Amino acid sequence: MRADAVAIVAAGVATPIGMDVEAFWSALLTGTDGTSVIERFPVADLRVRRGGEIKKLPASSRPLLGGRATQVLMAAADDLGRRMPTKPDPARVAVVVGTAVGPVGELEGALAGDARPRRLGGALYDGPAHALARRLGARGPVLTVSTACASGATALGLAADLLRDDEADAVVAGGFDALSRFVMRGFDALRSLTRERVRPVDRRRSGLLLGEGAGLVLMMREADAPRDRLGRLLGHGSGSDGSHVAAPDPDGRGLEFSVRSALAEAGVTGADLDFVSAHGTGTPLNDRIETAVLKRVLGPRATAIPINSIKGGLGHTMGAAGTLEAVMCLLAAREGAIPPTLGLEEADPECDLDYVPATPRPARPRLMLSTSLGFGGCNAALVLEGHVTGA
Amino acid sequence: MTGVRVAAVGLVTGWGEGTAALPADARAAAAGREVIAAQRPPLEGDRFRRATRECLLGVAAVHDLLRDGGLLPEAIRGSGTAILYVTAGAYGASNRAFVESPRGGAPYFPYTAPSAVTGEVAIEFGLTGPYVILVGGAPSTLDALVSAGRLLRRGTCARALVMAVETFAECADLYAPARWLVGRPLVEAAACALLVPGDDVLAPRVAGEAAASERAVRQRAGETASAAPLIALALARNSHYDPGSLSGAWRERRAGLKWTRRALGLATEAGRT
Repeated sequence: MRADAVAIVAAGVATPIGMDVEAFWSALLTGTDGTSVIERFPVADLRVRRGGEIKKLPASSRPLLGGRATQVLMAAADDLGRRMPTKPDPARVAVVVGTAVGPVGELEGALAGDARPRRLGGALYDGPAHALARRLGARGPVLTVSTACASGATALGLAADLLRDDEADAVVAGGFDALSRFVMRGFDALRSLTRERVRPVDRRRSGLLLGEGAGLVLMMREADAPRDRLGRLLGHGSGSDGSHVAAPDPDGRGLEFSVRSALAEAGVTGADLDFVSAHGTGTPLNDRIETAVLKRVLGPRATAIPINSIKGGLGHTMGAAGTLEAVMCLLAAREGAIPPTLGLEEADPECDLDYVPATPRPARPRLMLSTSLGFGGCNAALVLEGHVTGA
Repeated sequence: MTGVRVAAVGLVTGWGEGTAALPADARAAAAGREVIAAQRPPLEGDRFRRATRECLLGVAAVHDLLRDGGLLPEAIRGSGTAILYVTAGAYGASNRAFVESPRGGAPYFPYTAPSAVTGEVAIEFGLTGPYVILVGGAPSTLDALVSAGRLLRRGTCARALVMAVETFAECADLYAPARWLVGRPLVEAAACALLVPGDDVLAPRVAGEAAASERAVRQRAGETASAAPLIALALARNSHYDPGSLSGAWRERRAGLKWTRRALGLATEAGRT
């Protein structure tokens, strides 16, 4: 069933390639590689020691309570706060944020002996969302979504639902995750990380690199939103694979269900799309599955739509990825350019769609699809519409 | 407008299976124990050899739900069933185990994600529909119930499995100083409810104080965090009374949900108070 569109008014980001929306966008266009050797915690014993680490967080983003994950989220909140065109009634503001691994670095600290009473609260996955609500003074619902690496997309979908049901007048929604030894060690042990560079849909791709970051957007009902906005969320879909806890379904059935659901909720078809932001982790399996699903869902149109992945420069920012990719889509529409897929140099015959390599492509997409996949068989898709100034 | 109906409930707690196992007074029954742990469900199958206790508890609760509703697993299989899972901290055990494991433990890392529980439930019962996973206490479960009603109303799914799992035993020392966050005794629980289209109306409301159902669950089950609203539904279903208002508190937030049985002609209440 088609759902009412929801306005995405403004965005804020904190990423390894830029600590505000302008820097983020500029780095995407210039192909900045934000991955580097991790310096914040020991990695010498790991097979892969690189990731998209934010080297310096602004002092203002460091709350009295809360660790790295909360700080990264607050940095994005600060950026969003600087560009909020409206101040909604705090009693009617909700917070919906997604995270794959939560503030697990805090748990590491607590287990190292620092189990002060408040420390446990900070180590629970919903600690950062409540910290954000406190900072904003938001007194509406506070939701923490954890659909693994699809969290940042799921959060935007749930936020839209809160607005449609009049549970809130404005929602600050998005996703975050911080690098920690915990998550680096986990992906390293799974052999999911590449020792080379991240190469989404490239023939030589050999895995992903992790990154940290946060993305937040201010969402409002269409009728309440100011004219100056980034765009609209038209549809969200989710689907479980029901096949494996750690690996995506080889046929991509959950992803296909998600994309079809999102298109239905948006009231559009694959033929209407102008651009796809792929999950595009750079693992052999993920990129092949996504390509196959896009071909099935979009039909002949699949080969005509430009597609990119921004994980080559950012690393996989886990719970933040879905939101950051949605923001990238809306900026592409506003700025008239599709950022390149950093690391893509030799196309894989099995990923034979129009993946944008090397340099930005001039284009002003209006309707866009963004896909996300995660552990536990979580899949999500968003259909977004860009806003053209003066429209 | 399509409402909802509870077609079946499932419950496994540290006290045993179902609401009949709940004591009259949880605090007295705990006799000073901080945590009432649930046994690792003895599920068969090689697939479960790596599954964490919270995953198995989730699967066991759904099996209990099927028994309660007189349903075969095929009744919920496929993309027509949405799954909405909530936990405040059931991932803590697997996260801790991974932090403290001296070696990589690659096969266990994916189980540190809260989505491992829905993953195992989805695999076991063949669920391929929409899903939501929320991390938080009872207010998040109320949010999940509202989301389930929304999915049913829109026709996004034909039925919605709302589930909550809480485990505490492995992190009991971390919870010990956190009495500001959770009461006592900490009672492990896996609870679920299968919602289908019906006549009951769910309306979120601001809750100023604990509803009678919340107090009843605390009295009989103890501190079950996100599972509490679903235990309230199980108690209501098994004693054939109107669930009435559900409520819950977690951190700085208190939330409520008015559950009105329209089919019984009970008084309706404004959605927001």
